[in-house]
Amino acid sequence: MKQSHMQSAAQRRASLSRRHFLRGVGACLALPALESFFPWKLVAAENAGGGLALTASGAPLRSAFIFFPNGAIQPNWWPDTPGADFKFNSTLQPLADCRDYVRVLGGLDHLNAIGGVDGGGDHARGNAVFLTGMHIKKSATDLHDGISIDQLMAAKVGRATRFPSLELTCDDARKTGACDAGYSCAYQYNLSWSSPNTPVPAEFNPRSVFERLFGPGEHGQRVQNNQIRQKAQQSVLDFVMDDARDMQKRLTGTDRDKLDQYFTSVREVEARIQRAEQFGPAPDPLIETPDGVPSDQTEYVEIMYELMALAFQTDSTRIATFCLAHDGDNRSFSQIGVLEGHHDLSHHENNPERIAKVAKIDEWYAEKFAGFLKKLQSMKDVDGQSVLHNSMIVYGGGNSDGNRHTHTNLPIVLAGGGGGTLSPASYERFGSLPACNLFLSLADRMGVQGLERFGDSTGRLAKI
Amino acid sequence: MLKSFCIRLLLALALGEIAAQSPARASDFRHDVQPILENYCYDCHADGENKGGVAFDKFNPDANPAESRDLWLKALKNLRSGLMPPAKKAQPTDAEKQVILGWIKSDIFGIDPNNPDPGRVTVSRLNREEYRNTVRDLLGVDYDTQAEFPPDDTGNGFDNNGDVLTLSPTLLEKYLNAAQEIVSQVVPVTSKVIAERVISGGELAMDAGTPKKSLSFSYYDSTSVAHPFQIQHPGRYQLVLNISADERYVEDQFDYNQCRFVMAVDGQELFHRDFSREGGQAFHFQFDQQWTSGDHVISFHVEPLAPEREQIRSLNLRINSVTLRGPFDEKYYVTPADYRRFFPKDVPTGAAARRDYAHELLKNFATKAFRRPAEDQDVSRLVKLAEAVYSQPHQTFEAGIAQAMLAVLASPRFLFREETLEPAGAKASAAFVDEYSLASRLSYFLWSSMPDEELFQQAAAGTLRTNLDAQIKRMIADPRSEALTKNFGGQWLQTRDIMIVPIKAGRVLVQDGVSKTDPIAISAVGAEHLSKGFSEADLDTITRLNFQGEADSYFNYIMHQDRDVAEFVDSDYTFLNGRLARFYGLSELAVQGDELRKVTLPADSTRGGVLTMGSVLAVTSNPTRTSPVKRGLFILDNILGIPSPPPPPNIPPLENAVSAVAGHTPTLREALSIHRTQPMCASCHDRLDPPGLALENFNAIGMWRDQDHGQPIETTGQLATGETFHNVRELKQLLATKHRTDFYRCLTEKMLTYALGRGLEYYDVETVDQIVAQLQKNHGRFSVLVAGVIDSAPFQKGRTAIALGENEPPKSSEHFANVK
Repeated sequence: MKQSHMQSAAQRRASLSRRHFLRGVGACLALPALESFFPWKLVAAENAGGGLALTASGAPLRSAFIFFPNGAIQPNWWPDTPGADFKFNSTLQPLADCRDYVRVLGGLDHLNAIGGVDGGGDHARGNAVFLTGMHIKKSATDLHDGISIDQLMAAKVGRATRFPSLELTCDDARKTGACDAGYSCAYQYNLSWSSPNTPVPAEFNPRSVFERLFGPGEHGQRVQNNQIRQKAQQSVLDFVMDDARDMQKRLTGTDRDKLDQYFTSVREVEARIQRAEQFGPAPDPLIETPDGVPSDQTEYVEIMYELMALAFQTDSTRIATFCLAHDGDNRSFSQIGVLEGHHDLSHHENNPERIAKVAKIDEWYAEKFAGFLKKLQSMKDVDGQSVLHNSMIVYGGGNSDGNRHTHTNLPIVLAGGGGGTLSPASYERFGSLPACNLFLSLADRMGVQGLERFGDSTGRLAKI
Repeated sequence: MLKSFCIRLLLALALGEIAAQSPARASDFRHDVQPILENYCYDCHADGENKGGVAFDKFNPDANPAESRDLWLKALKNLRSGLMPPAKKAQPTDAEKQVILGWIKSDIFGIDPNNPDPGRVTVSRLNREEYRNTVRDLLGVDYDTQAEFPPDDTGNGFDNNGDVLTLSPTLLEKYLNAAQEIVSQVVPVTSKVIAERVISGGELAMDAGTPKKSLSFSYYDSTSVAHPFQIQHPGRYQLVLNISADERYVEDQFDYNQCRFVMAVDGQELFHRDFSREGGQAFHFQFDQQWTSGDHVISFHVEPLAPEREQIRSLNLRINSVTLRGPFDEKYYVTPADYRRFFPKDVPTGAAARRDYAHELLKNFATKAFRRPAEDQDVSRLVKLAEAVYSQPHQTFEAGIAQAMLAVLASPRFLFREETLEPAGAKASAAFVDEYSLASRLSYFLWSSMPDEELFQQAAAGTLRTNLDAQIKRMIADPRSEALTKNFGGQWLQTRDIMIVPIKAGRVLVQDGVSKTDPIAISAVGAEHLSKGFSEADLDTITRLNFQGEADSYFNYIMHQDRDVAEFVDSDYTFLNGRLARFYGLSELAVQGDELRKVTLPADSTRGGVLTMGSVLAVTSNPTRTSPVKRGLFILDNILGIPSPPPPPNIPPLENAVSAVAGHTPTLREALSIHRTQPMCASCHDRLDPPGLALENFNAIGMWRDQDHGQPIETTGQLATGETFHNVRELKQLLATKHRTDFYRCLTEKMLTYALGRGLEYYDVETVDQIVAQLQKNHGRFSVLVAGVIDSAPFQKGRTAIALGENEPPKSSEHFANVK
């Protein structure tokens, strides 16, 4: 029988050495002189103009947006009493260790994820609206969303780091066939949008992520390999730009949009190369490059979190998104004894047994998230604070009740200290406000200037 | 203002021309169409009634037809599929139907059957499959795009849709890295290298008397093998040993055996090492050698070190190859293996001659890579790029060419499929795509790759369009047409997903009362899961591969034997090997061995056709159970082409189904029937559930079963179009006979969508109808479908600039495939 590509994917996954990488990250933390990763002089020079993602102490300020699929079991998710004295309910209990840095935000909505005349397709909308807050066009081919908050931040304040933003996902394979109810699959798999018709596909391969951040090859060779790569890239950019210009003249209509994406990409790659020159060589962590996609789901999610933490710690980027799984994901969770598909279960029809299983999945996701927060807490930043203190991390989903597909009172947690700008731990209930109000408030703190509105925002959140 | 006026005027002229050519209106709405609607449709869709949001009496025949396109596209689809009028209502005659359909096509859609609007294909980026195949055919490199590039977004069910294939900075960065990697893998950067000879594992295995791919030594036996070799020139050499230590995985049981491996040259020990379990690790050992000219011999010996330990994991050492590199003396350097493929001549001296040679090389390469002749000015820019590299100190001419090739692979002209139209009359709204575009359309449709030399030459000579039939035949017969099976078949039937769909086979078996001692359990979950973790075990990889193999072989058979495509729905054969036959409960067929082959099924068999293949049954299931809804949707979407409305935006809360059925755990049929008592759910689930429930005799891993949760399985049901069936065989017969035309149309729409790389629009209705008519006339032969797609106006032509204007006619707000 001919070997199919899927088979080779399966083999690739199966052949990975276990926990190699995770062990390594610990070793990296022992590296001295984290400060050397940080281009202080450049920052001082640039910050004269303002508009950089910095804390008051001059340390980097990071934003991350982490998405989990299929909503959450509401009674288990929300704490019982609002305010500073709140107690975690079962789902968020794993966050107890980092409680000081956690705010549970109730009453935030994505009204644009509600179907209305567009009808079904709540998973496509739950996914695509989550970071944009915009109405998405119901079409299998004609994409129209809004720019997502992470990409907006990246465009405004991303120049301070080697990478304006980092997009990660644990969806390494996609289902074929049509997606949710007539929406293009692009909606259901992409959180980040750099323009209303340009999704930013996330990286699924831990090896690629690592190599992009730090260079290919083994420790000791990465700096040089990276330079070789970038030199080769740079040498052809002029040529391909000319080629694209010639081609653009011959094109019309939507074809021009496609070439525009090419132009934008070339410019962005050029800018990245310039930044690399400006900032000097990227750090070369003393860890083995991760192998590829682990066959084990737990390991996969943990490695991606580790990579995000590493990217923050080394100040490779200050803006990241992580799609744990696209909305509607139907994975099973044998690691916690839940064999049924997540999406299948989420339509629990009020069956207590099924509800309990979904809650278990919700808790598993929260536990992995807690692991990430703890990792950030253990990382010392340039100003002596923890990286968690100097971060703002949104953790949430685009559906609230997965059984009924609702998009109000979304399950959202805001973690981190915002460099001291976020209020102490509490459970806030906003009644009914756009989730975009939160994003707008975070954008302010990131140094984005002159932003009046974002998505369907109606203002800023008074208290976070 | 003036400009836009002129454009509108031009547009009006262009459209006017189309109208002038179209035949006189086939029928008049008020006179011919309205009376039929009044008879059959007005009960629910007029006079205050507007079921499904449709009210025909609100239609204004004097308004611009474009305004009501969506309404009439919906009407056309519902009328033709037999969904409307509902089965229990009076039905219009065929002649009456034709009046309505003809009127919609000519008066509302404005279709001229002799000169249809070919539509517009957005310039398409190569997707992961196309990129991989194109690089393979261009340079002979297999680059693993599945691991390196992000998955492509899809639209209308296929991942080759130009509108949806976007490009991000990260992807461009990946393209640049890929180009570098690919070029450095194959393009030599010097003309002379140290000679290298590889003694393959296969050659060594022959010495051991076993014709295999590599030489294997068991840890448990004492064995020796020797291989003679000759050295021509005396001098310094390097010997590299490539070896791996394999084992067969056995859950929770270790194997503590060890062995000593010894390698010697000419009887002198060069190396020894003790191996224990190494988990499949590969090793490379390197040795410097001084050799005289003449005969030499390399020998290997393995000696067990722990002969009393239990032999559990079939531990073995595998010699994959031995590489001899040398002599290192420069005077014995040789031309690299692939050198002449890229550099047919020796590199000339002198700047001008080098430049000419570079021009010649890069023109050839760019022309192939761009799939159309590269212009001299573009080539000159490439030459400059190459020159900038090779004129630097310590850089070779070859390295400069390699750098320019890298630029070609990163160019938008390589990454996108740019098309050009043949010249057409000043007022023509459509024109043929040029021959190079046609060559690419053909090759990316049938091969998911670039045109080969023959297509390219035909295009260059301008003879491709007139030789299409012969070329299609040749291309289908070519092994590259496997791409049509994998990429079209694999996405249409979703068999691509079988390797990744989460299926907890152990749990499925437990639910169906199959014990882990049943031999079938081994094929379902794999031997290693029988002892532990049975109920959590995934569907076994070999079984998944068999499922995929069955579906692919079936598709290949219909394609290569030019069968009636209706056999996709129902037939008396399928493709089995011994294991799959047992899995399907067809042991009596006595199929043996691993090879999948065509097997004629017993007269009463429920198998045959894609619906009862393990692949389709599994990918339409949830991890632990079947999903009649997903299966029903699969039949509606991919077989019948019946509009299936999406689920409602706000799902009404459902009470726990368990409490509604007294006495036992409800079967899925029972649970679904509770579901259908909600009127909001019933309207669609009445369509979806019955055909899905007809497949309930097949569990989530495609095995036959008689019971679900201890209750007998009931498969009787009714299609939305009124016909009843009692079991899956009757359902398949119904689909393949009474609904044969619907299936032809459904498959034609799918294949046209895939071939064009765009979604279908209202103006494509006539094209589809014409292909379906051809299929009906020609026993549904596969080749007729492919030829029909390729000969169609949208495949052959494009809209001219005049038809596009600067502001293209807006797309209908609802897409063809989404109109439900």
